[in-house]
Amino acid sequence: MKKRGIGLGCGWYGTGYGNGFPDVSSAFVEIHDDGSATVSTGAVDVGQGSSTVFAQIAAEELGLEPQDITVITGDTDTTPDSGTSAATRHTYNTGNAVLKAVREAKERLLDHAAHEFSCTSAQGIELKEGWIGVIGDPSRRQPLADMVFQARLHGERFISAESSTARTTPVDRENGQGAPYWPYAFGAQVAEVEVDTETGLVQVLRIIAAHDVGRAINPTQVEGQIAGAVAQGVGYALMEEVELHEGVIKNPAFSSYLIPTALDVPNIQTIIVEEEEITGPYGAKGLGEPAMVPTLAAVVNAIYDAVGVRITSLPATPEKILAALVEKERTFGEGGMRQNIDS
Amino acid sequence: MNIELRVNEQDFRLVVEPDERLLDVLRNRLGLIGTKEGCGEGECGACTILMDGKAVNSCLVLAAQAVGHELMTIEGVGDRLHPHPLQKSFVELGAVQCGFCTPGMILSAKALLDRNSQPSEEEIKEAMSGNLCRCTGYDKIVKAVQRAAEEVAR
Ligand code: FES
Ligand code: FES
Repeated sequence: MKKRGIGLGCGWYGTGYGNGFPDVSSAFVEIHDDGSATVSTGAVDVGQGSSTVFAQIAAEELGLEPQDITVITGDTDTTPDSGTSAATRHTYNTGNAVLKAVREAKERLLDHAAHEFSCTSAQGIELKEGWIGVIGDPSRRQPLADMVFQARLHGERFISAESSTARTTPVDRENGQGAPYWPYAFGAQVAEVEVDTETGLVQVLRIIAAHDVGRAINPTQVEGQIAGAVAQGVGYALMEEVELHEGVIKNPAFSSYLIPTALDVPNIQTIIVEEEEITGPYGAKGLGEPAMVPTLAAVVNAIYDAVGVRITSLPATPEKILAALVEKERTFGEGGMRQNIDS
Repeated sequence: MNIELRVNEQDFRLVVEPDERLLDVLRNRLGLIGTKEGCGEGECGACTILMDGKAVNSCLVLAAQAVGHELMTIEGVGDRLHPHPLQKSFVELGAVQCGFCTPGMILSAKALLDRNSQPSEEEIKEAMSGNLCRCTGYDKIVKAVQRAAEEVAR
């Protein structure tokens, strides 16, 4: 018989290296005389989209389009170190370094422009759609490229280097006190599953995933990160297991270590929650790893809701589910009397 | 041994080892490195190419077996200036993350659309189930194939 159930999972996750480990990102920025800009950072985009986020941040500050920004990454000859692409840290930490660097170069540019436009303060200058000019006075503006080009002829360059260090203190081993991570990410997911009581097979039908990302700098990428995490979470919950024998992995192949295919992944509905993280770039914080955390609990809880058995070790394989169903029947008789377990 | 291969509508005369895999010939001798090797044992689909319009794992085919067949790799599907509707929709919908599975995904999808221009969601998932992706959760990939199908139909 196939039985359906619904389960909820909630998760929180400390992002960054944490526990006092130095967590530093850096960036160089240069605004060029063709009206474009370059961001250099050691942060490597492994597909999560960090380079796109950096381009968006620089473009937003400079009144340009993301395609006007060249992002150079991961070259130890030319880019400043920004740590690893790990710990859910690039949008937040490297994003902060990029933002600081862009703002520094921009400040110099605005000061220069204020002088050129005979404006008393740089606060009266704006960068918009590739132009630089005096706020509220359309007669006093010029293409950004012209301004930077003229400045260059006078020996002015708009170049900056900045870094950003995440807040973290080690936990006191005596009393457990400390602030190991900042910021924390939060999420909740609901899973609907169908369990086949004859075979023990679980099909995850649907996942609704709500995640607080502070601010979604790139909503498409946020959805992509959530969907990817849900797929890994489904694999973690139901099929993936590294089998070790005397320190040797017995299943180091896709034929013996199964990961979800397109057919195993449920319908995924994402809900982006934007609760501003004031220390993040435009209020953003990381999402990569935490998006997987609630999936496991949601799936395992949904299995319980469907057939009344608690699976307490992962993955929840058909063997484990069948064994638990047999055990339940033995204890509570035919039909299982799920109420007995619940009460 | 001397063989002749037809890849992306071009003919190549090659000297290969009798046991050389088609995947290696494409990548190492022809420089068509868009085709990836994920597992080398027919499980991941990263090495997918089209052979007479059908998706095959090039890690499981010997170069010599490909003689006389029409081969297509990702390089033959489209380019920056003339992207195939699938390539366009993958980029536009964010169906590419690390990109390692992408060439194989596109070719499996192309094989599907070439024989069934209006596949259902289930048919898409079925056709793509031999291509593993660790990044995207397949969600946007399936949507990108649907979008491309709509465009092809138009
Ligand atoms: S490399 Fe051919 S299927 Fe994985
Ligand atoms: S995009 Fe990374 S494996 Fe598919």
